[in-house]
Amino acid sequence: MRSLRTTVLAAVAATLPLGVTSIAQAAGSDLKFAGALEFSDDGTLFVGDNYSGAIFAYEMTGATAPAQVSPVNIGDIDVKIADALGIPSSALAINDMAVHPISAEIYISVTRIGNFESAPAIVRVSQSGNIDIVDLAGVTSHKQMLDHFPDQETTFRPRGLGQMPPLVRDEAKGNIKLSSLAIMDMEYHEGELFVSGVAFDNFLSTLRRMPYPFTQDQSAANVEMYHISHDQFETRAPIRAMSIQQIDGKPTLVAAYTCSPIVLIDLDEIVDGAKISARTIMDYGNGQPLDMLSYKLNGEDTLFVTSNSRSPHIIPVASLNGAQSYTKGDLPDGGKSDTMPIMPVGDTGKTVMFDGMSLQMANLGDNFFVSLTRDMYTGSLNMDSNFNGFPNRLHNLVAEFDFPQYWEGK
Amino acid sequence: MVRGHLTAWLVCLATTMPTLLPQIALSAGGDLVLPTNGEDQVILHVGSVDGRAPADRLAIFVGPQSQCCAGRSPVSGRYRVDGETVIFEPLFPLLEGQIYSALVDGATLKEFTIGSDNLPPPPEVVAIYPSGPVLPENTLRFYIEFASPMQPHRAAAFISLERADGTKDRAAFMTFKQELWNADRTRLTLLMDPGRIKRGVATNLDLGPALEAGENYAIVVGAGWPSAAGQDMPTDFRMPFGVGDALRDRPDLGDWAVTPPRIGTRMPLIVRLDRLYDRVQLPHSIALRNANGQQLPGRVQVQDNGTVWQFVPQDPWADRDITLVVDAVLEDVAGNNFREVLDHAVGTRSRQLDHVTLNVTLID
Repeated sequence: MRSLRTTVLAAVAATLPLGVTSIAQAAGSDLKFAGALEFSDDGTLFVGDNYSGAIFAYEMTGATAPAQVSPVNIGDIDVKIADALGIPSSALAINDMAVHPISAEIYISVTRIGNFESAPAIVRVSQSGNIDIVDLAGVTSHKQMLDHFPDQETTFRPRGLGQMPPLVRDEAKGNIKLSSLAIMDMEYHEGELFVSGVAFDNFLSTLRRMPYPFTQDQSAANVEMYHISHDQFETRAPIRAMSIQQIDGKPTLVAAYTCSPIVLIDLDEIVDGAKISARTIMDYGNGQPLDMLSYKLNGEDTLFVTSNSRSPHIIPVASLNGAQSYTKGDLPDGGKSDTMPIMPVGDTGKTVMFDGMSLQMANLGDNFFVSLTRDMYTGSLNMDSNFNGFPNRLHNLVAEFDFPQYWEGK
Repeated sequence: MVRGHLTAWLVCLATTMPTLLPQIALSAGGDLVLPTNGEDQVILHVGSVDGRAPADRLAIFVGPQSQCCAGRSPVSGRYRVDGETVIFEPLFPLLEGQIYSALVDGATLKEFTIGSDNLPPPPEVVAIYPSGPVLPENTLRFYIEFASPMQPHRAAAFISLERADGTKDRAAFMTFKQELWNADRTRLTLLMDPGRIKRGVATNLDLGPALEAGENYAIVVGAGWPSAAGQDMPTDFRMPFGVGDALRDRPDLGDWAVTPPRIGTRMPLIVRLDRLYDRVQLPHSIALRNANGQQLPGRVQVQDNGTVWQFVPQDPWADRDITLVVDAVLEDVAGNNFREVLDHAVGTRSRQLDHVTLNVTLID
């Protein structure tokens, strides 16, 4: 449901040793990196740890629900989190966000970059907007080591744009480990945790499933898909964001990839050792999906997919029933980009307005999306809650309605 | 210090504190023992125990005192109270080089830095050029030199031109989107608004010239300007100066007074300049050449508030006749150079020359 972003800052953190531990860690939990987050229905928090090659489960059950879920809005949330961690905001990397299904408290996983080391922390934002650092030592936890975890040495191969030589920023990608993609997104569904990412020695796109409570049993299946805009089969690039929906009468995993195919995978296909061929049904254009939220829009099940470079995309779940699949040869040969008339392909959704860019987004109760939004003009990072009927934030624009004269006589 | 061994730690504290740890006596509350190591606790001897929560007695914030503490959250950590002592243990070790502020009893702020031994001294203004005592009315630019690299985009907030009556002229200097810093951000170039110098243009007609002959002024660089390392300038820097007549003609080497040295010595060649020249250009805009046209190696010094240029040769003076070669684009502080006057009429032709020269005869 939520995706993990890999930032250059996180890469910096990844190169730092883990020498110093916080009070919270020293007392028990051996969490080394707080990445992807997901809640079970009753409030167990799953934390993906790409450094340990494990998923930690923290039992935060037994919470009480607020009488009514309130929107939470906090300006400069990165500064305020950094304040609590005793660092400047430049030394903070925000990795993921999830909302407790009962208490509606907002949890954010972060990396605290110190002088010579990095440390994980889980930040909690209460319904009243208070920010505190979760004392993980005080929470019952369970750890599930992941099979076939990829090596933690191999790094990305830097590339420039097209024929251009790589820039400094491109070269920096060469310092990021491929294992940073090992736990991309997690989805809890009926007593099981589904995990996307890369695995095995050759960094194959992998879907894992495991029961919770953990039994040490786990399955890992490789996923291959036909990428419409790249016109090729891809086996490595991982699922960035996913959601489990009932499609054509079966529980189905809806998955979003970079540049931006949507594929369907029957849950039944995810068995240990399987080589899954996912059904590509859509490519809605270039960009990197960040989060896929499942919610009701006008009473209909709907997916809300955010991106690092596009406005959010809404996809009615019912529109995926009986969707046409695409594979090599179905469309003209060659790469396809946003500007070509053939794109998008099979898109049953639409792009909607969202002022600013959402780095993280999650459902907050039934009526709101909570977002960590980068303001386009100030660059500030703000937590805002938006009515999910149309989370446009259009009051930030300047329009006819902002003229006092407009209201005269109304 | 080992965490979790409080008793042992306090014994250790009692024996080492007077010499090793900075202890600050506070007017409000008690004595504060600030950490010198990121792993240390922050300790406050409160003097008297009352019903207040430990976090109300002592809270640590990220950043300097000047940014504390409205709208900020305190650093997370655990409190312990031991008798009349409040002990704060940060959740994570404090960062080396980071400025923190301790808030005691919600009233008294004390700034501290971990590993402060490694930090450069707080920033200060080393010099402002030109430096007077009397500057021409149409002085075009000032240079402010700092001891350490500074945070940019602060000039408008911290630099002002003050009149003798203490009022500030907020429109005297040009404000740019991009401030004019040298590469390591230790020297800021400050331009007077040309509209307050040039004759007959709108701002000068509306506001009058920024500097007027016969009046006294001061450039003030205000305390609080942070260095690139985040340390605030502790005190104001003031450069008072008087203002004299405008410079509205081209300089002429005939007005320079050269004191020739004696051949065979390494005595300096001294040039008393006719006016104040641009202090960044001046040192490298004048060269000495021998009869064969070779440049003489040596060391340049600018003295007497920029009115004297002197040259100490590397080797004893050998030739009797040498030439002083001056770059024609060397500007005086009003922007006039040897080619043209800054404030010239449209259509006036500038002189086409690269250098101006002056022959100097050394003493036998």
